[in-house]
Amino acid sequence: MRPLDWIVLVAALVSIVLYGLYRGRGSDTVDRYLLAGKSMPWYAMGLSIMATQASAVTFISTTGQSYVDGMRFVQAYFGLPIAMVVICTTVVPLFHKAKIYTAYEYLEKRFDSKTRTLASAIFLCQRGISVGLTLYAPAIVLSVILGWPERVTTMLMGTLVITYTVLGGIKAVTWSDVQQMGIIFLGLVVSLVTVIALMPASVSFGDAMFLAGKAGRLNAVTTNFDWNDRFNIWSGLIGSTFLFLSYFGCDQSQVQRYLTGRSIAQSRLGLLFNAVAKIPMQFFILFIGAMVFVFYLFVQPPVLFQRTELGRIERVGDFQPLAERYNRAFEDRRQAALALVEAHHAGDAAAEGRRIGEYRAAQKEIDGARTAAAKLVESTGGEKGFSDTNYIFLSFVTRHLPAGLVGLIIAVIFAAAMSASSGEINSLATVTVVDIYRRYVRRTASDHHYLAASRWATLFWGVYAVAFAGWGKRLGSLIVAVNVVGSLFYGSLLGCFVLALGFKRVGGTATFIGMLAGEAAIFSAFLFTGMSYLWYNVIGCVVVVATALAITYAAPGATATTPGMRQSV
Amino acid sequence: MPDEPPPFLGTWRRVYIAVLIFLGVVIAAAYLFTRAFQ
Repeated sequence: MRPLDWIVLVAALVSIVLYGLYRGRGSDTVDRYLLAGKSMPWYAMGLSIMATQASAVTFISTTGQSYVDGMRFVQAYFGLPIAMVVICTTVVPLFHKAKIYTAYEYLEKRFDSKTRTLASAIFLCQRGISVGLTLYAPAIVLSVILGWPERVTTMLMGTLVITYTVLGGIKAVTWSDVQQMGIIFLGLVVSLVTVIALMPASVSFGDAMFLAGKAGRLNAVTTNFDWNDRFNIWSGLIGSTFLFLSYFGCDQSQVQRYLTGRSIAQSRLGLLFNAVAKIPMQFFILFIGAMVFVFYLFVQPPVLFQRTELGRIERVGDFQPLAERYNRAFEDRRQAALALVEAHHAGDAAAEGRRIGEYRAAQKEIDGARTAAAKLVESTGGEKGFSDTNYIFLSFVTRHLPAGLVGLIIAVIFAAAMSASSGEINSLATVTVVDIYRRYVRRTASDHHYLAASRWATLFWGVYAVAFAGWGKRLGSLIVAVNVVGSLFYGSLLGCFVLALGFKRVGGTATFIGMLAGEAAIFSAFLFTGMSYLWYNVIGCVVVVATALAITYAAPGATATTPGMRQSV
Repeated sequence: MPDEPPPFLGTWRRVYIAVLIFLGVVIAAAYLFTRAFQ
């Protein structure tokens, strides 16, 4: 980090906090603090929804994933537009008309208090785990790449987030999300332009695409079906539809974004904006990773991008032959890539076919050397299942981007972490106050009292997130599972809402038992199968619905709904 | 709360259909992109 980088980073962070505080003025009632007085326009909600979903891991990890595995991760978002349409037609008008603060409040109106409490508890557990990881995951990467102490990074991000979230409530969160998305978009465009500009003069943009494609890095769609394959078109269309139905329909961190809409139409437009913008955005991020791969065809990358572990294994005797193997493979690949481009330009199909074979063989050799290095990390006391995917993009940024742009990309990582965590903290506080405190501790109190309780709850969850992040090192491989954590809980929540909306005969007790059965099924799939996490949501939802229906028709006593509640929505 | 019409395409049903058509076009484009550079 050079002085100009620091100036850019500090300016971005200060402007985020000041803008959040400025926009959060007037949050002096519970309704304004938690729902922005239902005043938000669609574009603010749309960008806030996008910002809450896109954590720092999205940018750090997705680009790295594309570097090593190609662009097929984009398929995990194919279900999002379908889910958005379903949510717009079902829960958006229902939640707006019910005049609720949380999605789980609706469950008491429809079922009973225990179903609401179980759903709230599931949300608090799941989000409580992920909010700490949202801050910790970028901190650990920045500590390795830039040498910043993890605790200082999490403290800094946490303090900034707490400041505007506690003081300004959801208005501050939403409008700062808008600004943060602006920084993120700018950073992404600058990253892509820069990586293309850094290519050798003899390699055009078309050549770069050609080379990325021949190495399998532009594989946006894969049509083979495999339960254990995380990303293919089938898991994307079916599994991710359920994941996004759960996330946007049942997760308070997202529901609260669109409950702030000034009308049903504005909330729908905010969600539909994501339906059309999210896939292109993910495609763009993955494409940056593919171009970074092409850049490193001509500039030798380190064997491993995780500097600490690389420094450690460099002192091991087995490393030297591995490094020599890697250096040879890199030079072979570089020569093969240049020869392939030449053959492609000459239109010589036979030569092109031969060169592609050489190019892929060299790539395979590089992959083999990197795998051997990762195994060396493991065998010399490093992390089991070691992967350096999360370090690739930031390693490229800090080594090759000019002054100022490094600061901008670090600001993007901060902005992404802060936007995701502020939405999570805000929603955790809302559920704590509305579904727990106001429901069980103080049922009647003044608006001023609940406003103060909301601020204290926000402060609590902010401090908790920072403390949890400080403890994150002991979580080890759980960091890798940050995306999986949500899927362990979402299926049951989705099943509960499917029952609430689609099966009027099903009552609270049947739903409650169904949710417990759904969780048991999901954890069984997680612990005893190698199934892709995208399918957990399908399994959980189906088990909840099937169990509740079986109980409803087998034991009519469990079918009772709460009289007088349903007409209120 | 009244259910307002969308600002374009006249009805929400048409907007939803447009979004799903967009999804189909995106998947088709991504598939062709993959095939073109494979």
